Amino acid sequence: MPPDQVNTPGQVITVDSLTKKFGRREVLHGVSFGIEKGSVFGVIGPNGAGKTTVMRCLLDIIRPTAGISTVLGENPRTAGPALRRRIGYLPGELFLEGRITGRKLLSHYADISGPVRPGRVDALAERLGLDLDRHTRKLSKGNKQKLGLVQAFMHDPELLVLDEPTSGLDPLVQQEFLTMVREAQANGQTVFLSSHVLSEVQQAADTVAILRDGRIVTVATVDSLREGAVRHMRFTATGITAADAAALLAAVPGIGHLEVLPAGDGVELSATLGGAIQPLLQVLATLELTELVLEDPDLEESVLKLYGSIRGTGSTNGVNGGNGRRRRKGHGV
Amino acid sequence: MRKPLPLFTRAFVDSWRSTLGWAAGLAATIFIYLPLYPSIGASPDMQRLMDSFPPELIKALNYDQITSGPGYTQATMFGLIGFMLMTIASVSWGAAAVGGDEESGQLELTLAHGVTRTQVVLERALAILLRVLLLVALVFVLVRLLTDSAQLNIRPENLFGTSMLFAGLTLLSGSTALFAGAVTGRRTYGLAAGAGVSVLGYVFNAVGRQSKDVDWLLNLSPYSWAYGNNPVANGADWAAAGWLWGISAVLVALSAVALSRRDIGT
Repeated sequence: MPPDQVNTPGQVITVDSLTKKFGRREVLHGVSFGIEKGSVFGVIGPNGAGKTTVMRCLLDIIRPTAGISTVLGENPRTAGPALRRRIGYLPGELFLEGRITGRKLLSHYADISGPVRPGRVDALAERLGLDLDRHTRKLSKGNKQKLGLVQAFMHDPELLVLDEPTSGLDPLVQQEFLTMVREAQANGQTVFLSSHVLSEVQQAADTVAILRDGRIVTVATVDSLREGAVRHMRFTATGITAADAAALLAAVPGIGHLEVLPAGDGVELSATLGGAIQPLLQVLATLELTELVLEDPDLEESVLKLYGSIRGTGSTNGVNGGNGRRRRKGHGV
Repeated sequence: MRKPLPLFTRAFVDSWRSTLGWAAGLAATIFIYLPLYPSIGASPDMQRLMDSFPPELIKALNYDQITSGPGYTQATMFGLIGFMLMTIASVSWGAAAVGGDEESGQLELTLAHGVTRTQVVLERALAILLRVLLLVALVFVLVRLLTDSAQLNIRPENLFGTSMLFAGLTLLSGSTALFAGAVTGRRTYGLAAGAGVSVLGYVFNAVGRQSKDVDWLLNLSPYSWAYGNNPVANGADWAAAGWLWGISAVLVALSAVALSRRDIGT
């Protein structure tokens, strides 16, 4: 193996052509990406895409078949315990032992990780609403997850690697978690998290890598995904026929899924907008609107488009688009 | 600041209930069996009963010298019930230490912290060693305590030597379980390997003692290495003790190597 690491300055994690085979099954096919210091980097993808495998390679829990990665300037394969003390890790599936209280378990993990400031554990537990004096086997899934988060955050590591961090947490605690991530970022820490829930990554991360079947489909900033994302809109207007309304809207760049229904003496219209808002507003200004809804852009939909675009050079593209749309409606507005 | 041997401390302290349970079991066995010696082992009825058994059975059960105090202690405590209890304890600890911990998913989180895999194996093996030594020390003390009242007539140095062999025999099955668990990451394989070594050792001893034609089986039996010359009566074969302890140590080292070379939790 070449001794050199791909150490790009300013990057906390650099992964180059990471490949992993389990037996004959290759689960990572040359994954490459970099994470800037002080950023929040999210990796999303369906179950089995390889998110957990990438994270485990960075912690030296499993060893890559090929490729080089650098974590905090060191090769995780050879850096040893000193490197792992600088990292806080939350495994994707968390198992905690039975006959021990949360406090004792955390004190054990503190013994084998970086130094923990006095009072830090209690402060974190209080924020997350976790009772440290209960036996871990009696904790619910959500409370075990909180314990896992505390052990990852408690020594204020330079790098946090969090695999599906909000799984099992209720919405209020998820919000608290997002706050903790932002504080960590403000504190100069770097966060690498994974999820199959896009909204979570959308809220927490600056940059997103989309992993599918062991390949990075794209790496993009959340903002750029948002720009490319699709908004849903619908309105009702009076004094116009369905045909005229359809013709007007169809001229707006980025309009799709246009549906127009006559309603009373006007129309009820729904569509998606994939481009800028301004041209649409100019058209809408000419109408007698009685109702208008223009939704937030949906990252999920733009991601599904990306999945679709690699899945299919074939004919499935349109079908995927349709699925995305139906799914969205199912969520309610 | 940082506590020394954190993994050892945790493995040892967290298992105090289990250690205490096994200690109670061993103590109960000793208090039930040994005081009966004067009325059972040493009675003329016992000798008559033994004479009526087929010699093959006597040899298989190691009852040849059951009518003497040391022979009785050897056959009942060190050779049978005590051997069984300690083997079960040691094998279950060995299988749980790495294989069980990995299978339950907890090893991954431990290894993500500031520890090496070798350290995990060595500290946990040390915890098993200490627990085995504590239990064997308890056996030594209790047998010593009952020697006079139960008329066992065991010399202290022989009891000490036997205890060391007993510990070595137990550690061998425990380290086999640890090794199989470290290689496979499965608790069940650890249990099977550890139990296999003990059971086969016992069976090879029982069969090997039957005739000259099969006595080569004794060479394959750790049980026979330890107890072949009736150490409670005749003193320990220290070379045998060396082999039992030495092989155990090698298995622990190999466990560390095996664990360091593979993916965890896959």
